Amino acid sequence: MDKIGQLNRRTVLKTALAASVAQVASPFVIRARAADAIRIGMVDPLTGVYAAVAQNEVIGAKFAVEQINAKGGVMGRPLELLVEDSANDVGTGVQKTRKLIERDNVQFIIGDVNSGVAQAMAQVTNEKKVLHVVSGGHTDGITGKDCKWNVYRVCNTTRAEANSVSELLFKNYGKKWHFITPDYAFGHTLQQAAAANLQKLGGTITGNELAPLGTADFSAYLIKARAANPDVLLVLPQGSDMVNCLKQIAQFGIDKQIHVAGLQQELESLEAMPPEARVGVWMFEWYWKQPNTPGLDQFVAEIRKRSGGKVPTARTWFGYTSVWTYALAANHEKSLDGVKLAKALGNFELPPEVKLQPNKVYYREGDHQLMTTAFVGKALQKAAGDPEDLFQVDSMVAGDQVNPPVSETGCTLQWPA
Amino acid sequence: MLQLLLFNVTNGVIIGAFYVLMALGLSLILNLSNVINFAHGGFLVVGGYIAYTITPYVGFWGALLIAPPLTAVIGLVVERILIRPLYGRDPLYSLLLTFGLAFILEDGTRFIWGAQGKPVSVPPLLSQPLSYDFFFITGYRLFMVVMVIVAVGVLFALLRYSRLGIRIRAGTLDLETVSALGVNVRTLRSLNFAAGIFLAGLSGVLAAGQLGLEPTMGAGLLMPSFIAIIVGGVGSLTGTLLGGLLIGVASGVTAVFLPAASEAIMYVLMAVVLLVRPRGLLGEEGMMT
Repeated sequence: MDKIGQLNRRTVLKTALAASVAQVASPFVIRARAADAIRIGMVDPLTGVYAAVAQNEVIGAKFAVEQINAKGGVMGRPLELLVEDSANDVGTGVQKTRKLIERDNVQFIIGDVNSGVAQAMAQVTNEKKVLHVVSGGHTDGITGKDCKWNVYRVCNTTRAEANSVSELLFKNYGKKWHFITPDYAFGHTLQQAAAANLQKLGGTITGNELAPLGTADFSAYLIKARAANPDVLLVLPQGSDMVNCLKQIAQFGIDKQIHVAGLQQELESLEAMPPEARVGVWMFEWYWKQPNTPGLDQFVAEIRKRSGGKVPTARTWFGYTSVWTYALAANHEKSLDGVKLAKALGNFELPPEVKLQPNKVYYREGDHQLMTTAFVGKALQKAAGDPEDLFQVDSMVAGDQVNPPVSETGCTLQWPA
Repeated sequence: MLQLLLFNVTNGVIIGAFYVLMALGLSLILNLSNVINFAHGGFLVVGGYIAYTITPYVGFWGALLIAPPLTAVIGLVVERILIRPLYGRDPLYSLLLTFGLAFILEDGTRFIWGAQGKPVSVPPLLSQPLSYDFFFITGYRLFMVVMVIVAVGVLFALLRYSRLGIRIRAGTLDLETVSALGVNVRTLRSLNFAAGIFLAGLSGVLAAGQLGLEPTMGAGLLMPSFIAIIVGGVGSLTGTLLGGLLIGVASGVTAVFLPAASEAIMYVLMAVVLLVRPRGLLGEEGMMT
């Protein structure tokens, strides 16, 4: 080999040596820190299609850690948050969760935005007996037929989302519905829940277009939907898919002929749309503007300082609440034991400074689902005052009213002996 | 039903035209330099974001003029520093490099412009449907098709009549002989790469108006373009043109009967072409070996 080749080999050797020294050295650092701080881990898709919402969850979680530590930490010890990127991939999410538990000795796990990743992570945390709060994965199974004693969830089930909007749409806009549904677990359960509600109310479905995840062009589905002549067109894809779909609906002028609506909507998506695409009736899981909610203004102001002036979204609140859940339970129980904390969270009610919304907000004992307020309203084409005020909340429905009873969720919790 | 079918065929042509623009850039680079440019989607996104950034100063039309050449300049720099050293090697090296580059470009745009999508409005003149019945033909979509036709026309004319174009075509067939005849192959490859990236940048600006901007959008648009090249036949730009239109129409027609398979049909089409005619519809035997 020439000279360059030799140099390369040396560089490789040096790097390998440095890496092995780092491997040996790092455990000392971990031990020294572990003596005082309590480590908690967060796994979220910081890269990939859900990066925007995941990053907001992290901002909320970091702020909660800051607040908790300023108030004396957990049992007098500070919290230390370790954040890992699941890259929106099940294998990576599982691997990062294992790493956090086995190598970094975290006491508590938060994540993931992606339902599939969250479910796989729950297998790991269950096996390791570590308390786990699912911050942002909505598929029903997590607090339904796949529920686990150590897993709680902050965000809503797809059933609850469908229940919060269905009746309103039926009464105000008509009984013939057409769906555009993302073709994966989340979309299927969401569509089935809405379809079941529609059937109960006595309406009809004119069609259900299954669009693959990552569809950029929805024109073919929209041509079919308009030809079916429904009263309401329900747009169920999320993230950039929803942005694309609503943009095309606006360009084609379909919103002027058919009522456009959906179930779940997020501020991150509305902000990515041009004004003409912000149409329809939706449900928000949390909103930053509410009348007379104690502590809300301060929360919004503090988050703005940490996110370059952006307001908190539902995702920010999910991350924030997930961390506070752990701190509240551990301080209440004076223990870090996973089983003890999981037991304590059953029917645990969030205090006003954490819940930041009206109605009673509590973790249901039977399925470990957080009962939160559904914010039902309309997307605004023209921002109301603040440029980020893009949603008009018409009603705030208590979680108990939109969630099915525990007996219907299919959840049976198996506690360790 | 017949009307629905007609609508979707027309719609498929519109979508296909966009794939053509993207695929032609890929095809140019692949044919001359044997580089499978996985970062093409990344360059598309960069082009779109550049347009988004300069639109407040120069307007939509200004951005449409300026963003593609700026993207091409970035492409030129990347070619000079990263890709050129790999020309003599197995295509696998450049494939791995551009694969990594795609991630770097995606993360780079996320770092600079943020993970949250950016809204892009098109001029009001173009944002209306042309008629009530043909509601899916908006001014903007028609404009996109016209842009594709212009770009393809200019590209084919350049390749046929200009000295550079003739050299590129000759180099595609036999680079060694072209080099022996005194043509500077390095410059030829650089300019050819820049031309390919120019088309990616143009696709990015057009896609931004249609879809908005998001750091990950390139990946989703890249695969159909690869399929267009394979269906049309590696080595033939006319084949790429045909392949892009074909998968657009196939995808549109499938959406009428089996919406969930509208994406899968492109892969099925590719598999059938590979089985029946491995060189692609207009491809030449023995390319890519």
